[in-house]
Amino acid sequence: MKNDAKIADKFKDFKPNLSDRKNIILGMGLRGFEKLFSLKNKSILFLIGIVYLWTFAFYLLLGEDSYPCNTVSEELKTCTHLNFYGDLQYGGTRIFLVLIAAVASSGLIANDLTDKSIHLYLSRPISRIDYLIARIIPIFLLMLTITLIPNLVVFISQFSKSGLNVDFLSSNMWTFSNLILQAIFYSISYSIIGITFSAAINRESLASAGFFGSVYGVSLIVEIFYGLMSEMDIENSEYILLLSVIHFLDIISYKIFNVDYFVTIFGSPEIIEFPLSIIIGLYVLLFSSFILLVNYIISRMEVTK
Amino acid sequence: MIEAKNVIKKYGQVTALDDFTVDIPKGKIGILGPNGAGKSTFVKIALGLIESTSGEITVLGENLDKNSIEIRKKIGYMPEHDCIPNKMTGVEFLIEMGQVSGLDYQTATQRTHEILGHLRMGEEKYRLIEEYSGGMRQKIKLAQGLVHGPELMFLDEPTSGLDPNARQEMLETINGLAEISNTNVLLSTHILQDVETVCDYVIIVNNGKLQIKENVKELVKRQTDTIQIRVGENSDEFISILKQNNNKRNIEITERWIRIPYKNEESFKEIISAAASAKCQLYEMERIAMTMDNIYLEVVN
Repeated sequence: MKNDAKIADKFKDFKPNLSDRKNIILGMGLRGFEKLFSLKNKSILFLIGIVYLWTFAFYLLLGEDSYPCNTVSEELKTCTHLNFYGDLQYGGTRIFLVLIAAVASSGLIANDLTDKSIHLYLSRPISRIDYLIARIIPIFLLMLTITLIPNLVVFISQFSKSGLNVDFLSSNMWTFSNLILQAIFYSISYSIIGITFSAAINRESLASAGFFGSVYGVSLIVEIFYGLMSEMDIENSEYILLLSVIHFLDIISYKIFNVDYFVTIFGSPEIIEFPLSIIIGLYVLLFSSFILLVNYIISRMEVTK
Repeated sequence: MIEAKNVIKKYGQVTALDDFTVDIPKGKIGILGPNGAGKSTFVKIALGLIESTSGEITVLGENLDKNSIEIRKKIGYMPEHDCIPNKMTGVEFLIEMGQVSGLDYQTATQRTHEILGHLRMGEEKYRLIEEYSGGMRQKIKLAQGLVHGPELMFLDEPTSGLDPNARQEMLETINGLAEISNTNVLLSTHILQDVETVCDYVIIVNNGKLQIKENVKELVKRQTDTIQIRVGENSDEFISILKQNNNKRNIEITERWIRIPYKNEESFKEIISAAASAKCQLYEMERIAMTMDNIYLEVVN
């Protein structure tokens, strides 16, 4: 009885020391990341394994002699870190990156919307934007593990190949910072796209199919159309490439490495130029629209239950 | 506990709250009203989930517009609809909710087991929520609102969809947990008995307006035994005689009825005598036991 009374008193006098918003958001994000990495998500773990095997096979074992960028022709240059995000035939991991982003992000908001637990999250001491950030963190961290870490591994391997020469570090300082910037850029972009599909489609499997189809599928279609339009000498046909998220992100990625962007159409590479202001403006417009759309979808949920 | 001043909430052309003003005291308070009266809208605004079109709300002494996130640390919320994830166990879900409220893992775990113990959930708390009965799901919904030890708990239709046994158990649980955890309760419902069972105060809302705010016991006690009369002409004189005879007792006059507190059988003789003196025709006279049902229906209709 005495023990029961003590328990009751403890329950009654419960005065918790609640942490602040930042810690709540970070905690939610890290727990989400942990869940994505759990053994329950075998498909995600399998795809991550493939990316690392791919990196091992193409970039560590076969290793490129001229690191980081290699001159293909008088005009064209290709870089190891750009190739990593390219198509399979060029040793790229793009298809796996898109697939992982699609599978891993699809449930993040969709599940909360489907079971309506989003109302419980939003009744906690966090704002709607806090909630969105907390849901972006897991997929962002996951993407970093398959974009930044493999590239860092390649960088370190090249450093080791140079005989741990300090000159290598000083001459590749910009490569190092660019590869970090590039990995963050791809990771945040795919995370925002993933969260948008997750909120808009509201069903995990459909959201992931929608993401993959809209990003990877559309890129293939756009490339074919661009090829045909180029053959027909249609003016400004390169702008059709901006309809494909993959091409759009690649254009910015090439800008990060200060390399001319080129597309291989029917076997021959073609340099394409876009004004930087248009690309940056379009990126900001597109991705802030995604965030606003998700915010709107969630706000509608609050009102209508 | 909650002070609302001239709160208006519009959804397009529909006005959910219409110049709503109320001062809700601490304790266990019921918000009663038919579906669409504006109860849930008020709860959501007080919780900071949606914004009012105009007006001002103070919750636990803090202005909602300026400090809604901080206020939520002191508030628990149990929504009306089913909103718990099926693919988690009860324990996992409550720990997650505790952590999202700001508790550290250890405290959230400890508190989860304490609450689930009070809710008499045994080994089933380790089962997936999708395997739970309706009553157990409601308990988990209630527990997630209490996990961080809130000062105030919003309960939106907590007995909705429960069978009579589960409903009774839920009401007892709410009563018990509110007492033991020192939590104020704001119970939004359209079921009168829930308010009678749990609440100290009742607020009746209809068409987005406050209709009545009263202590439940006082309200029931005051209006339990009444003689209801309908009269013809000369009612003014009749009423003034009644008032003289019923010194210091409440006589309630509505457009249609006059209600006099029932004292004993002599009360009927007094009324007849007053009607004879005032030459006022008595059309109807009956003793009625006013329950919350009568009060509610009268206010709402």
